[in-house]
Amino acid sequence: MNCATERLAEVRDLTVTYSPEDGEPVRALDAVNIDIHSGEVVGILGESGSGKSTLASAMLRLLAPHARCERGTILFRGRDLMNLSEAELRAVRGRDISLIPQDPALALNPVMTAGSQIDEVLRAHLPLNAHGRRTRVLELLREVGFDRLQEIYSAYPHQLSGGQRQRIAIAQAVACRPSLLIADEATSKLDITLQEEIIALLVQTRRQHGTAILVISHDPALFVGFADRIAVMYAGRIVEVGSSAEIFARPLHPYTQALVRVAISSGLARSSLRVRLPTIDGEAPDPTRTTVGCRFEPRCPERKEICSRRYPQEFMPEPARPVNCFKYGE
Amino acid sequence: MSPASDLSSGLGPSPILCVKGLSKQYVRGGLWRKRVHIEAVRSVHFEISRGQTLALVGDSGSGKSTVARCVTRLETPDSGQVLIQGTDIAQLPACDLAPFRSSIQMVFQDAITSMNPRFSALEVIEEPLLIHGRDVKNRRDLTRRLMEEVGLSPDWMHRSILHFSGGQQQRLALARALALRPKILVLDETLSGLDLSTQAQIANLLLDLQAKHSLTYLLISHDMGLVARLADVIGVMSGGMVVEVGPTDGVLSSPSHEASKKLVASAKASASNLAAMTGGVA
Repeated sequence: MNCATERLAEVRDLTVTYSPEDGEPVRALDAVNIDIHSGEVVGILGESGSGKSTLASAMLRLLAPHARCERGTILFRGRDLMNLSEAELRAVRGRDISLIPQDPALALNPVMTAGSQIDEVLRAHLPLNAHGRRTRVLELLREVGFDRLQEIYSAYPHQLSGGQRQRIAIAQAVACRPSLLIADEATSKLDITLQEEIIALLVQTRRQHGTAILVISHDPALFVGFADRIAVMYAGRIVEVGSSAEIFARPLHPYTQALVRVAISSGLARSSLRVRLPTIDGEAPDPTRTTVGCRFEPRCPERKEICSRRYPQEFMPEPARPVNCFKYGE
Repeated sequence: MSPASDLSSGLGPSPILCVKGLSKQYVRGGLWRKRVHIEAVRSVHFEISRGQTLALVGDSGSGKSTVARCVTRLETPDSGQVLIQGTDIAQLPACDLAPFRSSIQMVFQDAITSMNPRFSALEVIEEPLLIHGRDVKNRRDLTRRLMEEVGLSPDWMHRSILHFSGGQQQRLALARALALRPKILVLDETLSGLDLSTQAQIANLLLDLQAKHSLTYLLISHDMGLVARLADVIGVMSGGMVVEVGPTDGVLSSPSHEASKKLVASAKASASNLAAMTGGVA
């Protein structure tokens, strides 16, 4: 969808390998392709170890020192982030692309007040004087839903609750009106009512400023009413892409089908006491072990002989519904 | 023992765990700053019958984890009683707690941080046996049996715990908790932070273990979907107090307190939105 709008970011053939000093190399991303259009909310759905956080760090060129980007390009507004110098990257991060961390308690500086940490972002990127920045910080605090602005401005992170800290992290992330926000499991540590508030805040940011958002989560329920398109990741590969509505109503890949089934049954239902829950049999594959076939094959209820012999290429059983599964051709 | 209070669950026979008037304050500040007393938990009552599950639900900061820590005596309550099969352990000195510690065990949210990272699976599971001076000649056989019971291959006994996945580490934590054959397990957000499918696998395992050993669970959770499947009784906490207790179906279908209404409404909305999106897939 959104073919008419501007293509903001374009990830092509991105392949990242971690080589820890004391262990086997692990391929975290394998030939990943994804497009993000201006103002679009794209969800990355995958379980732990699927490579979704590596994708988030790679998009900001913030990979760990032992990670190596083997192949691929990340075009952002036509510029390949892979070729930028560290100085050029610093100008992009926080200004054009910014990250909302999973755990703001770790991302915020414990000895700086909330206000001065937002101020820091403005000082790094915008030509504002001290007075201008203070006014702007207070505006941002109001925008992310605070009332007692002065009090929050001078509060330290430990004086704030988990939900309040996440709002401060969001205020930092949106301070320079970036065109792309990356939210990596930004709500998974919050309880359900706070989760809803944070999502509502992101929806509002997108509506008011046309910010594109890349949302990363293991929980399909989070994307409902929020993501326009969803890419499903399994063991370092994107296995299926579709509009949110299509992914939920007609998932094509057997993995997505299982995941949606699990998500539905893990929600609240009445009179279900002591009813066993459906699961996806087995465990996610050992990432150090390389296979030629489909990574989901050992757990797949619909596996065929060919599935273990080679990796399925991309099939397009319906328009704009790429899926890597031999169910749809050979 | 005094007669059960109005807030008792009233299900099944005599309670195995009974909490009465439990209160706990924390002190913040001191030295240069003003001392502030924070009432984490205020006169909490509940009881659980053998083989049943009571879930404490509520927003973060509502006092759920403090209750869990007082019941397992990781904290000493300021006042109130914690009766395990009729014996009050609330103020017992540490030296007299050992026999009760083996009958009530706790499983934490983040399994790996509750284990020595240098240990193998075997060392993790046999640690409580050694601490409690259990003269188990065949500790290895017991470990093997426990690993099988929680769905881990005993062949991995000598592997470092760091080589287990998150779900497998949580299974290890369960095996360790079961090593002393406890009657009660306190599950403090044991399932949160796991992938949905892993969560469902562990939830199924908890149901199997409960049926097999008639275990009693005190489940601390903010996930109403899981609570609906695992708990016979729900206790809703808000501002350090248990504001509503009742059978799960009752609380879910007609919550009476504001805090309960809010929790149930969010969970229902999220479930029905997803159901609407998926149509009839599942």
